[in-house]
Amino acid sequence: MGWFIIKRLGWMLLTLWVVYSVSFVLMRSVPGSPLSAERKVSPEIEQNLKRRYRLDQPLGVQYWDDLRRIVPHGDLGASLKIQDFSVNEIIAQGFPVSASLGILALAFALTLGLTAGIISAVRRGSLADFSMMTIATIGIALPNFVIAGIVIILFVFLWPLFPPGGWGRISNIILPAFCLGAPYAAYIARLTRTGMLDVLSQDYIRTAFAKGLSERTVILRHALRGALLPVVSFLGPAIAGVLTGSLVVEKIFGIPGLGVHFVNAALQLDYPLAMGLVLLYTTLLYVMNLLVDLSYAILDPRVKLH
Amino acid sequence: MLRSAFPYLALLILLGAVAWSLSFGTLPPADFTFCNGTEIQSVDPAIVTGQPEGRIIQAIFEGLVNWDPRTLEPSPGVADNFRRVTVRDERGNETTKWEFEGLSDDQLTYTFHIRENAKWSDGTPVTAHDFVYSFRRFLDPMTPNRYVFQLTSYVHNADRYYSPSMLQPGDPVEIELYPERDLIGIRGKVLRGYTFVERVLQGEAPDPEDEDAPPRQYLYILEKDGNQHRFLAGGEPGSVPSDVTVCRQVLLDFSEVGIKAPDDHTFVVTLKNPTPYFLTLMGFYPLFPVNERCIETYGSPAWTRPENIVSNGAFILKERRLRDRIRLVKNPHYWDRDNVRLNTVDALAVESYVTMLNLYESGVADWISTVPATSVKTLLAEKRQDFQPSPMMTVYFYRINVTKPALNNKLVRQAISLAINRQEILDTVTGAGEVAAYSIVPPGIPGYTPATTAPYNPERARQLLAEAGYPGGEGMPTLEILFNTSEDHAAIAEMIQQQLRKTLNLDVRLRNEEWNSYQISQQQLQYDISRSGWIGDYLAPNTFLDMFVTDGPNNQTGWKNAEYTRLIEEAAAGLSDIQRDTLSIAVGVAGPVSIPTRMDLLHQAEVILMDELPVIPLYFYVSKNMVRPYVHGFYNNLQDVHPLRAIWVDEEAKRKFWEEHGR
Repeated sequence: MGWFIIKRLGWMLLTLWVVYSVSFVLMRSVPGSPLSAERKVSPEIEQNLKRRYRLDQPLGVQYWDDLRRIVPHGDLGASLKIQDFSVNEIIAQGFPVSASLGILALAFALTLGLTAGIISAVRRGSLADFSMMTIATIGIALPNFVIAGIVIILFVFLWPLFPPGGWGRISNIILPAFCLGAPYAAYIARLTRTGMLDVLSQDYIRTAFAKGLSERTVILRHALRGALLPVVSFLGPAIAGVLTGSLVVEKIFGIPGLGVHFVNAALQLDYPLAMGLVLLYTTLLYVMNLLVDLSYAILDPRVKLH
Repeated sequence: MLRSAFPYLALLILLGAVAWSLSFGTLPPADFTFCNGTEIQSVDPAIVTGQPEGRIIQAIFEGLVNWDPRTLEPSPGVADNFRRVTVRDERGNETTKWEFEGLSDDQLTYTFHIRENAKWSDGTPVTAHDFVYSFRRFLDPMTPNRYVFQLTSYVHNADRYYSPSMLQPGDPVEIELYPERDLIGIRGKVLRGYTFVERVLQGEAPDPEDEDAPPRQYLYILEKDGNQHRFLAGGEPGSVPSDVTVCRQVLLDFSEVGIKAPDDHTFVVTLKNPTPYFLTLMGFYPLFPVNERCIETYGSPAWTRPENIVSNGAFILKERRLRDRIRLVKNPHYWDRDNVRLNTVDALAVESYVTMLNLYESGVADWISTVPATSVKTLLAEKRQDFQPSPMMTVYFYRINVTKPALNNKLVRQAISLAINRQEILDTVTGAGEVAAYSIVPPGIPGYTPATTAPYNPERARQLLAEAGYPGGEGMPTLEILFNTSEDHAAIAEMIQQQLRKTLNLDVRLRNEEWNSYQISQQQLQYDISRSGWIGDYLAPNTFLDMFVTDGPNNQTGWKNAEYTRLIEEAAAGLSDIQRDTLSIAVGVAGPVSIPTRMDLLHQAEVILMDELPVIPLYFYVSKNMVRPYVHGFYNNLQDVHPLRAIWVDEEAKRKFWEEHGR
């Protein structure tokens, strides 16, 4: 297993380098300059601005300079737009926020999704199954901002339980976590239900029932473990996505996570910030997929790591 | 073993993570909270341009003058040589205003007396030398400064300091070596006593189109005590011959610039030409002083951190949470601290206008700077006392590319302007009480009457188009309206498309582009008609009219008019009122003075602009602040600036208000 992890980490470094290079080329081929503004400055001022941000250097020089700075120290440079902070500081401030929100959203999604999925699978065809799966389908179909709009009207204005936005208190995190987690909960519910139904028809479950075990023991001990495999493989990329923030939920609730930085950096051609976030996302995605593979090996004895 | 423990382990990790994500540091609530729009770029006055940045910088720094929160009149700031005078207007009403006492008779020299009790937030006194340091830093080509023209256009020799290309043989220069510490934004050692001989571009002249060319380097040949010395600006040490010294830059000696501090409390600025609004400019945030010791110790951007920053305004930067909030607290060393009534202020960084309104309505924010366009009509229909849109110095207009066929004809441009029914646009699209614009300069600038173009007149529009050789729109090329992606811009463009089709039978297409490509298209004149907006920086017509001088960077229409440019330049170089008086006495003019005033010249320029119409004004913006009734010291004004030092909250009224409104 140790060799497996080392090999995968090696591949990760290679992937990061490819992602860096491709992103570099893509970002620089977007028309426009990060220094352009509605108020055009004289050519001389523009030249001085370029010099200050080292954008007057040839692209090849910029490529190697950036790479040499990132590789040994992990120094992602200075943001061109949020000038009082380095990219590392922006990530250090934004990532915990996105992560808090993401973890809570996932916890919520797992609790609700697993419960709903198990119940609908066990009570297949019942009214509970039908209504929960309908809600799940709606949950997948409804975009975040619609859910956000509905909960804001309900829980901020009609029944003032929560503030409409901001960050810093527990009451700030509940509504956005719900909105962010809702689609994931719906997915997890459907995946769990499908997985459960698949497992419940297996021979070993019949054997377990035949041994006289209670329904509860059979489902939670024997069936659930097998049914979780599709959920776990979904969770890997889902965690990476949810941890790096969601543009829509962050915007609506005014949450200082990474999602809005991600989009703004791309739109405003803030090269260093966009690059830093792309690399962060790549790393997270890679690590999460690695963890998923490892947990497969634990959950399913048939899986061998190579 | 691991397999059976795994579910419990996973659960434990999840619970731990949830516990971590719910742990927050607590921050006590602020006296006053407002939504400041997007996250600010920086708190460094010299390098930023936006309104959200301005609100914070105005709170933590203070310039030579302050703008009166009501009238925007320059009033005492760090400089205190003002006196209160009573003036009588034409109708005989008496008003009092501030009169600056430090202006010389030729209106070229401003002598500011730095008040004795002005202090930095670390308790040290603010001196005239701090202003020399700050103004020099503002003019340094290495400071990424977009507003540098605020000094280079007016102050004696400031442009020659900023642009080494303007050096003349014999000029004294200063040579800045690379700083010893590897920090950005600090000054290296400066050598003086040299005079300029020659400046030589190193290597081949790069092709300006080639973006991948290496940056230019210049070799400076300088003279000291009869010997020639060679300095390479921007080179790498070690890569040069031994008789060449590598330096960061060679600039005109700063002692040549009209910015001086004869003593700790006297700061003198000498101008090129009389500039009546120069005093107003001194209250504009880019020219606020920064602390030398702080910047030279920490460098950029570390000096802006709350734990390092030293500032001289009514408030101190206490905490910065990116895209969340900026916490300001009252500065105990501020000279006018007794009149600052807020102790803590939160500036929330909120991008979405809907979220802003939600925060306001639920009582989190006491002031929001704007509301979503979709809510304007509802708010106006409810006749809310806390929503009073008010005119401001911002114009929404269309640029016309006068290098295109048909559009190069003045009559066609006039026909287009006449065919646009601005009121219809305002009634259906914007709807916050915006004002139809027939001039580029908004009304309300003291002493200036905007020149206007003719209002909506479909008959006349058709007639002019026929005169131009396109009767009934026949033979007119298809026109394209360019705008940057936004619902409002699209709605306005669609309406104008219909109006032009209906009235002039023109075929108009729409093209929307992302912000960056839109700007490039506009700068490179790759458009027919393009949406634009402009916010005035100070209360003077120049802030709008300077844009359209021939080949100006913000002209972007291809329009060239020698007479217009001459009038603008003449107004800038204009005679002072006193010079004019002397002149009229000398030539024996009696009665009304026949020499045009500066405002007359600018008016004449705008008359040309509104006749030629390389730009078609559409409407003037209104500010859309919402402020709770318990907030005092908040006034609507033309520049939409609301200094925090003047604002205070009636706590008793606030409590009552929220008791009544259920929170």
